[in-house]
Amino acid sequence: MSEVWVEKYRPKKVSEVIGNKQSVEAFVKWMRQWELGKPPEKKAVLLYGPAGVGKTSLVLAYGREHGYDVVEVNASDWRNEARMKSIVGESSLQASLDGSSKKIILIDEVDGIAGREDAGGIAALRKIIDESRVPLALVANNPWDPRLASIREKCLMLEFRRLRKSEIVRRLKEIARSEGIKVSDAVLAKLAERSEGDLRSAINDFQAIVGGRKVVDEKALAALGSRNRVKQIFEALRMIFNAKSIRAARAALEGLEVDLDMVYTWILDNAPEQIPDPSDLAEAFEALAKADLVLARVNRKQEWRLIKYAVPIMTGGVAVSRKHKPSGFVKFAFPSRIRLLQATSREREIRKSIAQKIAAKLHLSTAKAMTHMLPYISFIAAHDEEAGKGLAEYFELTSAELSYLAGGKVEKAPKKVKVPARRRASRRRKTS
Amino acid sequence: MSTLSLEEISKLPWVEKYRPKSLDEIINQEEIVASLRNILETKAVPHMLFAGPPGVGKTATAHAFARDLFGERYIEDGHFLEINASDERGIQTIREKVKMFARQIPMGGYGFKILFLDESDQLTDDAQHAFRRVMEQFSVTCRFILAANYSNRIIEPIQSRCAVFRFKPLTKVHVLQFLKRIADNEGLEVDDQALEVIYDFSEGDMRKAINILQASSSVSKKIDEKAVYQVMGYVSRGEVRKILELALSGKFADARDEVRRLLYVQGILPSDIVSAVYRELFFLDLSEEDKLELLDLLGEVDYRISEGATPEVQLMAFLARLAAKRKR
Repeated sequence: MSEVWVEKYRPKKVSEVIGNKQSVEAFVKWMRQWELGKPPEKKAVLLYGPAGVGKTSLVLAYGREHGYDVVEVNASDWRNEARMKSIVGESSLQASLDGSSKKIILIDEVDGIAGREDAGGIAALRKIIDESRVPLALVANNPWDPRLASIREKCLMLEFRRLRKSEIVRRLKEIARSEGIKVSDAVLAKLAERSEGDLRSAINDFQAIVGGRKVVDEKALAALGSRNRVKQIFEALRMIFNAKSIRAARAALEGLEVDLDMVYTWILDNAPEQIPDPSDLAEAFEALAKADLVLARVNRKQEWRLIKYAVPIMTGGVAVSRKHKPSGFVKFAFPSRIRLLQATSREREIRKSIAQKIAAKLHLSTAKAMTHMLPYISFIAAHDEEAGKGLAEYFELTSAELSYLAGGKVEKAPKKVKVPARRRASRRRKTS
Repeated sequence: MSTLSLEEISKLPWVEKYRPKSLDEIINQEEIVASLRNILETKAVPHMLFAGPPGVGKTATAHAFARDLFGERYIEDGHFLEINASDERGIQTIREKVKMFARQIPMGGYGFKILFLDESDQLTDDAQHAFRRVMEQFSVTCRFILAANYSNRIIEPIQSRCAVFRFKPLTKVHVLQFLKRIADNEGLEVDDQALEVIYDFSEGDMRKAINILQASSSVSKKIDEKAVYQVMGYVSRGEVRKILELALSGKFADARDEVRRLLYVQGILPSDIVSAVYRELFFLDLSEEDKLELLDLLGEVDYRISEGATPEVQLMAFLARLAAKRKR
């Protein structure tokens, strides 16, 4: 076995990419717009979903099939803004008109750059998306990290789901045939099952148990250790809310590649629907509030040793409090907090800008300017046009800001379209 | 500031227009003003911590002190720098901005300059520790005045390096006197009932009292109680009451969304929401035992928020407990 199968059998053409037909088609359609010289409105695409389902393979296959250079960057390559700019920035500005070296920039593990040490990485990436003249393909397991919010807005979001067992079996069969290996359907089915929809891991497992032989039977499966799978947030939530013990609830977070704050938000926002009894809910929220307090102490006092209490309190607390269950199955939903923040982003922006201007003049913090000054100025602007104008002049407000204050309305921005799009994405996830 | 035209002055928000310019104009803090005058005379300026509730004159006193010390051009000539820690709460601010200012050699023969750090209780612990070093390192060339609502959020080593001045809440007499002065100057007729109501809403916060007065004057130059209620109805809109009622009628998710709207869109300070909940709690349709239990929890919520816990989460825990009171 000189070659690693996952590389050897990576799809060479888009038609060889298995599963996720809708997202594959959407990606091809998006690329076609580039081909036609009419770059799509969103210059970046964010392919997201669990590992080993073909996100990166799709981009590579498309590039190969249509003659693109795929400039590949992953999170480990760059840790800050400067690196980001030098690697990606330049290629993104070199659109070739003659078609000699068409480029796609592939940025893998985008969720990995959201960390603290990548100061400016996200901001730089956002700028690159704005300025890019070539298609940008971003890949992530968890696109819901709050730090990625500003990136999400700029991307066509394409979800990739776990592959079906039958799809995996079919691919394994093709590999067996090509390698001249005799193997029963039962063994392949077991491999597919073990993989939980991750084709890459299925192929790796298959290659491992074959080990150069030409005949493989079920006994070979015993050689495989158990795989600690990266779970989806939904699976984790199901485990947490239904756990019978604190230990089981805590274990739900093992192998989950979503950061703790995010898990917390998902639990917090799903609790009211999952816990129908008000007394149970009060208990659950008390546990969540205490976990929050622990995390606050960890942050403020840098008491890292305390962090171990936060997880069992927040997960176990919810599980233990939930003595009554909803009568039917209630779906887990995308956190409403994040939806609210997205839906109100324009209004929050304008209020912040106004508050900053007030703060600069009145020896106040922005926060105090927003609550202790802005409402009064707004009242004055609404009731006395002349005085409102005077204040606007003093604070150097724009006319849009003054009319927001006077009328309390935000001019509708084109952003509105995005909310339903994202809702759709979350609904699709719920059914998975 | 001294060269503003009449027309420009007419556009000033009143909180700015009537801001005290020198220590003589500071209201109700006689002991503090006396001490500061002493300091001015001897020119031996220590590091100082101004602690006290909002709107009692901490920031104004710091500016007035500096103006009295360095003269009218105290800011332009680089003797005084104001940084608001709430906007720049990280260690970066201390390392760069504060240090940069503190290390420059003072000009004009004063021997030192003053850095005023407003809302210093908003600094992270890290930043406070870094700050403490800066205080020691540069104390020859730079004196620090810190202002804070909660002095208990300032780390001990900083407090011990400062002369601590506690600002008293303004009394009703002081607030009303000042409002009347403004009213005369602006040609307003404000009836006594209206003044009472403004004071009640202001809770001794002069900035708030002045804002209410100015907003009321945009309706009419004759201000009665109704005008004040109109302003306050617009400003506070009874949202907190609505939130409590939603929770109590079993609409927890709606109550939650409203809380988030207040916090994240309106930007209401968590402490203001907690205070409003405290006020409303006594009037809710609950047994006295339940109210007691909820008061206890609210106190806990308040304290946890001051410890740095997430206000939204802590308030939700309170609302969930309130919602659970419904079925009994």
